[in-house]
Amino acid sequence: MEGKKLRSKKGSERLKLAIIHIVLTLICLIWLVPFFILIIQSFRGETGMSTNYFFPKQWTIDNYVKLFTKTKFLKWYANTLIVALAVTVLQTLIVLMTGYALSRLRFKMRKPLMNVMLILGMFPGFLSMTAVYFVLKEINLTQNIFGLILVYAAGSAMQYYICKGFFDTIPKSLDEAARIDGADRHTVFTKIILPLAKPIIIYTILTAFIAPWGEYMFSSFIMLGDPDKFTVAVGMKQWLDKESVNEYFTVFCAAAVVVSIPVTALFIWLQKYYVEGVTGGSVKG
Amino acid sequence: MSDVNIKHLYKVYPNGTKAVNDFDMQIADKEFIVFVGPSGCGKSTTLRMIAGLEDISAGELSIGGLVVNDVEPKDRDIAMVFQNYALYPHMTVYENIAFGLRLRKLPKEEIHKKVTEAAEILGITEYLDKKPKEMSGGQRQRVALGRAIVREPKVMLLDEPLSNLDAKLRTQMRAEILKLHKKLNTTFIYVTHDQVEAMTMGTRIVVMKEGYVQQTDAPKNLYDYPVNKFVAGFIGTPQMNFFKVKLTRSGEEVEILFTGCGAKTKVPYACLRKADPDVFGGIEMWLGIRAEDLSVTENGDGAAVKVKVSHTEELGSETLIYGNLDMSGEGPEGVIIRDDGSHSVKAGDVITAAVNVRKLHLFYTDTERTALPRIPLFGRLHCKIQNRALHIGQNVLPLPPALDCSDGECLVTVPTDAFTRDGELECEIISCEDAGGVKLAEIDAGGERLYAALPQYNGEKTLRLGIDLKRISVSTGEGTILPLPAVNRTDCKFVKRIQKAASEKGKKTVKSAVFGFQSGDAFFEVSNEISQKIFTALGIKKAFTAKLRLEYTPYGVAVARDGIAATVQKTLDYGAEKFLACEAGGNTVYVKTEENYSGNIYLMPDFGNISVVDTEREIKII
Repeated sequence: MEGKKLRSKKGSERLKLAIIHIVLTLICLIWLVPFFILIIQSFRGETGMSTNYFFPKQWTIDNYVKLFTKTKFLKWYANTLIVALAVTVLQTLIVLMTGYALSRLRFKMRKPLMNVMLILGMFPGFLSMTAVYFVLKEINLTQNIFGLILVYAAGSAMQYYICKGFFDTIPKSLDEAARIDGADRHTVFTKIILPLAKPIIIYTILTAFIAPWGEYMFSSFIMLGDPDKFTVAVGMKQWLDKESVNEYFTVFCAAAVVVSIPVTALFIWLQKYYVEGVTGGSVKG
Repeated sequence: MSDVNIKHLYKVYPNGTKAVNDFDMQIADKEFIVFVGPSGCGKSTTLRMIAGLEDISAGELSIGGLVVNDVEPKDRDIAMVFQNYALYPHMTVYENIAFGLRLRKLPKEEIHKKVTEAAEILGITEYLDKKPKEMSGGQRQRVALGRAIVREPKVMLLDEPLSNLDAKLRTQMRAEILKLHKKLNTTFIYVTHDQVEAMTMGTRIVVMKEGYVQQTDAPKNLYDYPVNKFVAGFIGTPQMNFFKVKLTRSGEEVEILFTGCGAKTKVPYACLRKADPDVFGGIEMWLGIRAEDLSVTENGDGAAVKVKVSHTEELGSETLIYGNLDMSGEGPEGVIIRDDGSHSVKAGDVITAAVNVRKLHLFYTDTERTALPRIPLFGRLHCKIQNRALHIGQNVLPLPPALDCSDGECLVTVPTDAFTRDGELECEIISCEDAGGVKLAEIDAGGERLYAALPQYNGEKTLRLGIDLKRISVSTGEGTILPLPAVNRTDCKFVKRIQKAASEKGKKTVKSAVFGFQSGDAFFEVSNEISQKIFTALGIKKAFTAKLRLEYTPYGVAVARDGIAATVQKTLDYGAEKFLACEAGGNTVYVKTEENYSGNIYLMPDFGNISVVDTEREIKII
C-alpha cells in the first residue's frame, strides 16, 4: 500500500454529483428557454410577430385583456375543457378495465388481441382521419363536440399496456382471497385492485387529459368551418395565419400561457404518482 | 357435515400437461388432511380445485354432500390461507378480517363481535388498527388465519401457510394451527412441501408426486409401511438408506447380497414372510433401511454390515454417522446411521452396523413399489389336484368346472383378501394382527403358510375358511388358469344423433339431438349428467373425436335384446356363480349370467355403474 495515494471515496462521489447537477441544470435551462420567451412575448406591448430585441420595450397586460374580451378564446377554452374532461373520464375507465381484464382473465385469443393492439398502436392515428371523418359525417357528428369526444375516446383501450403491467405486479392471490371472501369480479376490481392502483389511475388520468388538450389534427378536421366549436389548438392556429399573425401573435403567446396553466398545475400536483405509475410496472414487488 | 368427497379428480391444462391425475379420496368431517410432495407434484392445484380457483378437468368434488364442481368459490363455504398471506395492503387488520363478513352484509355489531373474538383467539387484538405492512410475517399469517376463521367455514384450506416464516416461528405457528383445528372443530386441508410439518400435523397424509397420489395414510403408517420407494425416501429425516440387493432364501434364512459392493449378510425368513415370494429368486431389489434401524455394534453376530465412516454430524442428543458399505469409501452404497452418541466414531473408521431385521423395506427396481407390504397381496399354496379337487394337506376343496385341471401337482395363487369365513379349508391361525382396520391372520392351511385378510376374527385357534375361486390362479404343468378379470373394457366413441319424432299435433316432425356412446353398431343413449361430464372433460369438439373406453365389472353388464354384439366363447361355471366369456369388438367381456347362452348375443352395460376413460390421455372421466 505504500506510495499509493488513497483517494477519498466521499470526494470522488461529490465531484461526480457536482458534474451531474451542472449538466442537468444546463439541460433544464435550454429546455426552459422557449417557455421563457413565450411568457415574455405575452407581455409585449409592440405588435408584430417578432422584434429585433429580446425584452419588450413596452410591457403590458393588454394581450390578456384582448384575449378574454375580443376573441372567442373563452368559448374554445370551454370546448377544450369539456372534451378533455369527458375523454379523461371515458379513457381512464376503459384503460383500467382493459388493463385489468388482460392482466387477470384468461380467454381465447388474449395474446393475439394484445399483439394486434400493440401493432395497431404503432400506426399514427391520423392515417384513419379521412375514414373517421366520413363515418362521423354519416352519423351527423361532424362539427360536434360529442364527435370529437368519441374519436378521442374510441382508441383508449390501446393504451392498456402500462396499466396491465402495473396490475400484473399486484399478486393474484389478493384476487383469489377476495373471491373466496365472497367478492365477485366487479367487487375485486373496485374494492381491492383500484385502491391499490392509485399511481396508475393518476398516470392514466394525466395522459388521458393531456392528449385531447393539445390535439390539433383531428379537431381541426372535425370542427372545420364553425369557429364557435373550435378547440384552443384549432382556434389559436388561426391567429398564426398570414393575415392575422401580425395582429394576434402576442395574443397567441398570452393564450399559450393560459392553456398551459391547467396541465402544469396537474403535473405539479400529481407528479409523485405519475413517476410511480410509469415505473410501477417494473419495480413494484 | 363438512366432509369432502373427491372422486377421480383430474387437472389437465390446455397444452396437455396433467397436473393432477385420478385424485380419489374421502375426507371425513373434522379431519386434518395434509397434502405433501415436492414442488410441482399437484398438491396446490388439488387444493385450488377444492377452493374453486381452478377448473376441474374431470371428476367430481363434493363438500358436505353437495357436488360443487361448478360452484363459485364464495358459495362453497370454504376459507383459504395463502402462502404469501394475501392480505389487502390498503386495509387495516380489522378491515381485512371483516372484509368477507361485510360482503355477506352481516350487521355491524355482529362483524365487530366476530372480528374481536378471532383477534383474541390469535392474539392480534392490539394490531387491529395497523396496516399489514407494519406487521411481521408471523403476525400477518395470524391475520390471514383470522380472516379465514371468522367466516366459520365448513372446510379450511391452507396453502403452505408457514413457508415464509423462519424455523422457530414455524414450529410455534404449527402448534397454533393444531390448536385452532381442535377449537374450530372443522375439516382442515393443509398443503406443504415440508414432510416434518406433514408428519406432525396431519391425521392423514396424502403423499403426491408428479400429479399422482402415491399413498394416503396416517403419519405412522406412512413411515412404517411406505408403498413405494418415493414415499419411503420422502418421509423421514435423514432419508431412508437404499441399497441394491439380491435375496436368496435357504430354509428359514435369507441371504442378502449388496450388489454394489459385494457385502453379504443373513436375516431370518420370518421377518420377510410377507414379501412377494418371487423376490427370493435372485432378482435385483432395492433394500431400504432407516437410519435409526442401523446401530453401531461391537460384535458382528446376526444381521450386520461393515461400514467405512466418511464423516459424522453431532446433533447433541444423537450422532449421524455417514459412511459407505464399500471399503474404498466410494461407490453407490452410501449409508447414514443414527447413533445415540454413545460410541466414539471418527472419519476413516470401519464399524459394524447391526440391522433391525423387523424394519426392513423391499422395493422392486422397475416399478419401485414395495415387495414387502403391510398386507401381502397374495400367498401361494403348493397343492395337488386329484379327481377335480384341490388337495391342500388334509383339506380337500372341490374345483368347479371353470377351473378344470388334470390331476397333478399345482401352484395356487390366492389373493390375501379372497378368503371368506365359511368354507371347507381348515386352517390353524398362527397369529393375527390389526393392519389398518383389516384383521390380517397368518394361517397354516395343511402345512402351507400364508396370510388371509379376515372379515372378522374373535381369537379362534382354528377356522374353516372359504376361498373365492373366481380370484385364484392355478398353475399346472399344462399352463395357468387366470382369475376372472375384475373389469371389462369396451372401446367406444361419444356421438350425437338426431332423432325425429312426431310433434304433439302430429303434423310436423320434431328433430332433437341425443348423445350417447357408440361401440360397433350399438348406440347407448346417456343421461344429461354423463354428457355434461364428457363435455367438461374433453371440450365440445374433442368429445366427439376422442377414443373412449367403457369399464364395467362382470356384474355391471347383462345379456339383453339390444346392445354390444358379442359371441359367447365359453361359460365359466364357478359353482355358485356362472359367467359368460364373450368376444366383443376384439375384447373379451365377462358377464355374470344365470342362464346358458351360446352363439351371438347382445350385451347391455349398466350405465349407472360404469367408468368412462379417455384412452389418449388415460383420464377417467366418469
